[in-house]
Parts: sequence; C-alpha cells; structure tokens
Amino acid sequence: MTTAQATFKPGLHLAVAAVGLIIAAGYAFSQLAGAGHASFNTTNLGVVWGLPVVVYDYFLLTSTGLVLVASLSLVFGLRDFDPLVERCIRLAIAGLVGGVAVLFLELGHPFRALLTAPFALQTASPLFWKILCVGAYTVVLVLLALDLSGRGTVGVGRRTLGIAATALALLVTLIAGSVYGMMAMRPFWFGGETPVAFLIESFIGGIAFTVFFTYLAYGFSDAGMPAGLKALLGGPLAKLHAAVIALHLMFVLGRAITGLWSNAEGLQVWQYITAQPLFYVGLLGGTVLPLILMAMPSTRTRASAQIVAALLVMIGLLISRYEFIIGGQQVPMFKGSWASGLVHYAPSPTEWALLVVAVALANVVYALAERWSSSRNG
Amino acid sequence: MTKWGMVIDLEKCTGCQACTTACAMENNRLPGENWQDVLFYHEGTYPNVNLSWLPRPCMHCENPSCVAVCPTKATWKTEDGVVLVDWNKCIGCKYCMIACPYGVRFYMDEKATIEPDTRAAFPGDGTRSWNPPYRMPDAMEDPSKGIGIQPHGVVSKCTFCYHKISKAPKGVADLDEANPATREHTPACVRTCAPKARYFGDLDNPESRVSQLIADKGGVRLKEETGNKPQVYYLSGGGAPVVPGQRSNKKA
Repeated sequence: MTTAQATFKPGLHLAVAAVGLIIAAGYAFSQLAGAGHASFNTTNLGVVWGLPVVVYDYFLLTSTGLVLVASLSLVFGLRDFDPLVERCIRLAIAGLVGGVAVLFLELGHPFRALLTAPFALQTASPLFWKILCVGAYTVVLVLLALDLSGRGTVGVGRRTLGIAATALALLVTLIAGSVYGMMAMRPFWFGGETPVAFLIESFIGGIAFTVFFTYLAYGFSDAGMPAGLKALLGGPLAKLHAAVIALHLMFVLGRAITGLWSNAEGLQVWQYITAQPLFYVGLLGGTVLPLILMAMPSTRTRASAQIVAALLVMIGLLISRYEFIIGGQQVPMFKGSWASGLVHYAPSPTEWALLVVAVALANVVYALAERWSSSRNG
Repeated sequence: MTKWGMVIDLEKCTGCQACTTACAMENNRLPGENWQDVLFYHEGTYPNVNLSWLPRPCMHCENPSCVAVCPTKATWKTEDGVVLVDWNKCIGCKYCMIACPYGVRFYMDEKATIEPDTRAAFPGDGTRSWNPPYRMPDAMEDPSKGIGIQPHGVVSKCTFCYHKISKAPKGVADLDEANPATREHTPACVRTCAPKARYFGDLDNPESRVSQLIADKGGVRLKEETGNKPQVYYLSGGGAPVVPGQRSNKKA
C-alpha cells in the first residue's frame, strides 16, 4: 500500500455513503409507502418515464462503460491499462447495483418482472433482450470480480470472462439505445444513431468514473501514485477521454442542429431544450470544458484537471441522459385538450431522493469492495 | 374470423363527451384517465379560429407496437382483433405507453390527471387501486383481459368493451344498439353516441356497415406512417386532416 493510499480512508467513504443511503432511502421509502408512485411527478399526460428511469439508464451505461475500459487490458491486451481493471469491475458492479435498485422502485411489479420477463420469450421487445442480457452481464461481472480478487474461479480463464463481459457490455449498451432508437413514433429518439450515441456516452462515462475513483483511492492526489498509473492517467487515458468526448460533442451538436432545422412533428422539442439553461450547462460545462481540459497537453497531465474533467463529464452525461429521455416524451400523443403543446416535467423530491439512493448505494457497494480488497492485500 | 373494428364519423360527432362518460361508467375509469376521450384542438387566432375535436379510443391496431414491446407478453391480441392487457402478467414498466403512438394507455398509480384525486374518497382494497362508486359487477371482472377495476402497478387501456362484444352472437356483421339482438353486446361508447357517429362491426365482413362506410366514404386511419394499421377508421369528409399537427398551429 502506498503512502497516499494510506491517507485515504475507505472506512470514511463507506460511512459517508451509508449515511447518505440511510437518509435518502428513508425519505424515498416513506414517500413510496405512503403515496406510491403518486409521489413521482410522472403522469399519464405524457412523461411516464421520469428521473428514476434516467438514473437507471445512467448507472447501467456507466457500468457497461467501465467494463469497456477494463476490456482494453482484459481483451485487447493493452498492459498499460492493467492497474485499472480491478477497480473498473468493482465500480461496474457497484453502478449496476445502484441503477437496478432504483429501477426496482420505479417498476409496478419488479419481482413479477424477474419471474416472468426472462421466460416470456417476447423476442420482438428490446426490453426482453435487455433484461436477459443485463442478467447474464451481472453473472459474468460477479465471476470476473471473483476471478480478479483471487477468491474464486470458474475455470474458464480471465480472458474468456473478460471477452464475455465485454461482449455483454456492448450488447446491453446497444440494446439500451435500441429501446429508444426503435421508437419510430417518437422522432426525437428514433434512429439507428441512438444505440451508437449510447455506446459513446457509455465509454466516456466509463473513463470519467475510472479517473475519478482512481484519484479518490489515492486521496485526490497523484503524489503517491505508481509512476505507470500516473503516466496512464495523464497520457493515453486522457487522450482517449478527449477523443471520445469530441465524438460525443459531435453527436450532441449534430442531433441538436438537425432537430432545430427540421419541421417534422415531434422534433419541436429541440426548440424547447435549447432554450433551457440546462442544455448549455451540459453542453459547455459537461462536454466542451472537459474536452478542452483533456485536449490541451498543458492541462491533461495535471491531476486536478483530470479530476475536474471527470467530474464535469459525470454530471454532463446525467444532464444529457435526462434531456434525451424526458425530451422524447414531451410531445404528447393524443392526450386531450389539457395537454396541448409540450408536456412539462420536473422531478419530485422523491425522484431526486432516488438519484441520491443510487449514488449512495453504488458508493456503499464500491467502498465495501475496496475495504475487502484492502483487507485482502493488507 | 371476425376482426372487430370501429368507424367514427367526424362530420356527425358533436364532441359531447357522452362516449367518454359512458366508457368511464362501464369500465370504472378514474376521472381524467379516460380510455375513450374526445380531444379538442384549436387553430389560428381570434377572429379566425377553427375548433375541431377528435374522439380517440384505443385503435386496436393490426400491428400493435404495444404488443411488440411488452417484455412479458402481458399485452396481447385476441383472435378477433382486440388488443388487451393481462393484468396478471403486466410488470408496470410502461414501455407500451412509450410505444403507443396514440396515447391510449394508463398507469393509474401516478398523480391524478384531474384534481381532486377521486381515489382519496374511494380508496381501494387489496390490489384494486380504487373503489369507484359506479363499478361494474364483480362477476364481470377479468384481470387476464384487463377488464374491471385497475389494480396497482399495471397499465390499462380500452378493451372495446370486450366483456360485451365477446359474448355477441357468432357471425354477426355489426354490433348496433338499434338491433335488440346485439344491443347488449355493443361497446358503451357506440351505444351511447347520441348523433350516431360511431359504428362497430366486423372489418373482415364486406357486408358489415363498417366495411361499407370505409369503402363508400373513404375511411382513414391515424398516423399511417407508423405502420400500426389501426382498426379504428375516421370519416372526415375528405376536406381536412383528421388531426391538425401541433406545428401547423405555429406561424412559419
């Protein structure tokens, strides 16, 4: 264990996350127990998938993105990325737990979903494939984590598990995009580029979370970081981060500009979105600024710039996911005279609490894994 | 095989909402969450304003996107062409609500569309989300077909009054309230329509009134571009689109 790692206390991380989880989950459960889903601001007027679905997809794609980052070493053999693998897989599991927990609180019958969806064989539904693939992805992730920790092995080899996890991560991400991209009746979502955009966003998220939590493990300082890891974070990973953020920026601008230009029914939501300050917070703060920080040689080698860029990307992606999912539902479909124009939505306190639940739960799982790893190594 | 369908004559419809009310009474609907609704649109600015309206039940599509996206096969299509929800299988994921181009599906656990929330005055017991004072007899309820008082955590939709039409005499071409033999089997919205703007019958029977009206008066379907192929046809007189686009209301 390095000096810097010694200064960081996984126990403190765990305690803070646990307190956050208790407070947020306590509030959310009390609201859900009393008012049920009426404590959400989603309604039958149009926006039926609100912030909880945004949170679920955000954490799911973050999880798959982390596996894609790990695949650089596990599958493609880039040895420079070896130090990141174990943390990426731990974070991927933590993110998955946080996201799926919130989804369970959003569904009408979550346990019925577990029992019926995998066996319904509704092959025409992207959600059927998503549920199936997320299930397989979870199992493979756990096996891979056990293999990496040296506590268990299924005898198929780490690379095989890595390839399986990567393939499933790709599938889950592309299917998650198809859930929206296949909806021809919602032009804001529809299109073959949607799954590709999800893949890019997933990868950026994976890199950002990797960078942030690696620095967290070293007390937000590169002073005690091994030279190889420091060089990786300030070199190839930062360049890769910049390249993928640039791709994401092109997708965002491309979609916004074509959406604003088009007269097609359903795309008028772009005029609303681009008139909101949130769009520019996400675009400038969550995309352009981190791109500049990671593209400029003078800043991308600095730990503080990498941490800030990672944090901005994490927030920017959440905004982007929110605008995408909510925006696609804002044009009402035959919902009556009281719902003309665009449907407006703002998350309720319960929905915000579920975001905190996801963040806190993922951090609890991750901090427990870190403690477990520290005790094993120490 | 019978393929039930509906024709709505917009030149006769007065927008009185009797169909909406009849549907709500027949199917235990919460106010504002109407399986059958009449939507109002206005175009232009005073004094050049056009008010139009559109009665909108579930379209019971030939190729229903709601059936395709349902991960548990809770939404299904009967042999006689009616799209139903099995409340015993529905997981409340609401993907069908996302995929329906016509906005005809309802998840009742959320905030009430119209305040005050009537459910507070008539709270549900057990799985029922509420206990409406005008509820249908318990014996008529069939959760496997989405008929009855909507339970918690599931999505519901218009059933074409399946509890009535499924008991109609075999081989009948039309279900018409004017015919004593089919009166009790006619959907509530059709039966109550004062200007007789609604017709219900077998789309696969060329002798049915609905088939003849579609052929003679040029029946059109909503959002043909989606490929869902609704089994609800509109007679608009051919002079104007059935529904004005939202963007058509805006100045260029």
